[in-house]
Amino acid sequence: MERFRRLLTEPLVLASLAILVLLGVGEFLSPGFARGGQIARILTVSAILGLVSAGQALVVIGGREGIDLSVGALISLGALVAGNVMSGENGAIFSAILAAGGLAFVIGLVNGMGVTLVRIPPLVMTLGMMGVIQGGLVVLSRGIPSGNAAPALMTFINRPLVFGLPGVLFVWALVALAMWFILRRTALGYAIYAMGANERAARLCGVRTGLVRTLLYGLSGLMAGLTGVCVIGYTGNSFISVGDQYVLPSVIAVVIGGVSLAGGTGGYFGVVLGAIALTLLQSVLTTLQLEFWGRQLIFGAVLLGLMLLYGRTKRLRV
Amino acid sequence: MTAALTARSVQKRFGAAVALSNAALTLERGEVHALVGANGCGKSTLSKIIAGTVQRDSGDIVVNGAPLVLSSPAEAEANGISLFYQELSLIPQMSVEDNIFLGREPRNGAGFVDRKALAKKADALLQRFAPVAGRGLNSKARVSDLSPDQRQIVEIVKVLARDPDVVIFDEATAALDHRQVELFFRIIGEMKDKGVSFLFISHRLAEVFAVCDRITVMRNGESVDDFVTAETDMDTVVRAMVGDIAHDLDPAPSTDFTSASARLVVQGARGQRLQDVSFSLRPGEILGLGGLQGQGQSILLQSLFGAEPLTGGRVLIEGRPVVVRTPRAAVRHGFGYVSGDRGRDSALQGRSIFENMAIAEWVAERRRLVWPGRLQARLSEIAQSLNTKYPSLDAPIDALSGGNQQKVFIARWLATNPVVLLLDDPTKGIDLAAKADFFRLVRNLAAAGAAVLFYSSEDAELIGLCHRVLVFNSGRIVAELERAELTSFNLTGAAYGSAA
Repeated sequence: MERFRRLLTEPLVLASLAILVLLGVGEFLSPGFARGGQIARILTVSAILGLVSAGQALVVIGGREGIDLSVGALISLGALVAGNVMSGENGAIFSAILAAGGLAFVIGLVNGMGVTLVRIPPLVMTLGMMGVIQGGLVVLSRGIPSGNAAPALMTFINRPLVFGLPGVLFVWALVALAMWFILRRTALGYAIYAMGANERAARLCGVRTGLVRTLLYGLSGLMAGLTGVCVIGYTGNSFISVGDQYVLPSVIAVVIGGVSLAGGTGGYFGVVLGAIALTLLQSVLTTLQLEFWGRQLIFGAVLLGLMLLYGRTKRLRV
Repeated sequence: MTAALTARSVQKRFGAAVALSNAALTLERGEVHALVGANGCGKSTLSKIIAGTVQRDSGDIVVNGAPLVLSSPAEAEANGISLFYQELSLIPQMSVEDNIFLGREPRNGAGFVDRKALAKKADALLQRFAPVAGRGLNSKARVSDLSPDQRQIVEIVKVLARDPDVVIFDEATAALDHRQVELFFRIIGEMKDKGVSFLFISHRLAEVFAVCDRITVMRNGESVDDFVTAETDMDTVVRAMVGDIAHDLDPAPSTDFTSASARLVVQGARGQRLQDVSFSLRPGEILGLGGLQGQGQSILLQSLFGAEPLTGGRVLIEGRPVVVRTPRAAVRHGFGYVSGDRGRDSALQGRSIFENMAIAEWVAERRRLVWPGRLQARLSEIAQSLNTKYPSLDAPIDALSGGNQQKVFIARWLATNPVVLLLDDPTKGIDLAAKADFFRLVRNLAAAGAAVLFYSSEDAELIGLCHRVLVFNSGRIVAELERAELTSFNLTGAAYGSAA
């Protein structure tokens, strides 16, 4: 019994279980929910959430109450920049990725410097940055949607490429591989865990904690910017608050995946499962015809419920 | 006439550790009474119990003939007992006068704070220190703008403002200069004549002899001796602090290092709490840092390691000057640092033993890529050579006992092949068997050519392990004891600043 209980609070098991249950529920509510084409569509949406959650995971693992609330605004920014650079031209896709990713990376670095050099709490720093970007987007675009995706990008994200799966899923797989490599096969990765577990001890071992942490926020920005490119590829065009809906899910996916909000634990594989589980939940809720705010309510409750569950197994260090 | 305060057979445990087994003290009215003893003798615990910040397990405390419970500082204060806080209790953002009267502001008829009366009283109190107060110390100044000695004066004034019957001064003179101490003692004298009693704790024995009427010596949680200052001398008091326990077990071999050239030379190092520290360390040498706790030993080690700033002086490794501003630079120069505060400074909680061991090696060897399999064999070899007991390298560090954890953190530095090993009271809270393993290890390391700087708060460890000991007092080296002079008596005497 005790073993069973412990197994149930194991994040990976919990996430896999949630995926199976949600598939079952979906199939029950609307037959055809768990068929191939539908699964591919859900995985595509999961991939987009998974990309932004990769950056979020790095920031959270790095510790010191790490969190990036500006990812939503950065996705919007990335989508807007990419859309305007592309303007529907296939030839401009590469420059669009470069521009959106580069700009978001730099803004992420600013977040990181605020957190490390000025020692602004991450929550406040990234919340403030979110406001700045959102305001900036309204001013720049005058509130009018502009820019649209190149056809090739839309095909890459929406249409099957190999084995009936769209290209963006292979990008996600590459990102997952890169995350595994960084976290488990580089000194940087171990430094991130060390810093998240005990920043002072990591510093006393010679880890450049300030530099690494700044880089983490930069990477989170970069991933959000690239997610923005995928988002405009997914929908064809964008509006200035297109990214807002990703902020809460990116944090929940990380927590479902077993990354402690206290930092220093967890890996990206769990976050992948978390992103899939959350997207499935979203689909089920849509099937139930729950509106945006209803979904938001459920999401918030899921996050708090998980904190309650994990909080009992491991207390958040302050 | 009853004594101002009497403590009888006071006992206190912290978990398994006995802090006080039988503490006793009689403080007469109008006397200055010193409480002295080596590190860990229980003098701080006893003073905290009297001030109400720590609760005793058993024993009596009688104030003015009435037995008291003293369950909080407020209760102690209500009974006329006031404690001077060694760790400053001032609020930096507030003015001097507000700090002095914090929580006891004079009120006017309507119940509001009477600012005029407050200012007047504060001025009158500060006036007593006017000749030595220095620039900028007045009742309206913000505490954050004051220098350390001025803050300490404010702290003293804050205690005096309570009109106490009994004052506990725990290291009240640490930040004061010579003239300030003199004036402070004069004020104590005046108050003493009015019947105020003082319990005086200081790491300067000369001050104890200058200002105190009587001396109580504590050792291992017991009050062992009482002296009338006028009828004794420093040597007698130091001998009482040390006792006659023979603990020179397994003494370090005396080796002649004069031929080897110095590996580490420190010249005139200065820092926040370091003054003009100079010494040299040779390969194979274990150089001890002694003295009472908090006299600059830890700060020196942390400064050499780049974790605290040095404001002056030079550091040379193998004759070449080096500037170490970050631990990273220190690691790359071949320093290793083992702290006694494992939870704060060493443990990567929740991470594997492997990661805890390997992290410094990756920095020292400038590695980018990590192949865990390749390092694992070498690390488990090191861990086993230290007699470390662990289930597997993948187990979390938290699964190990304190002693085994500390071995892992030493293995962390052994993996980097350090040329200078800095040990900062490393045996704190580890069991005797692990300590023995630890000493054997340090000796082997030194024999293999490492240079070791070893700070310990336990004199027995310094005597058992070191070739030479530098004794610190107030951030300075006050004595250098060679192997032949290394006795508890000399260490304690030097720690208290009496001539060794």
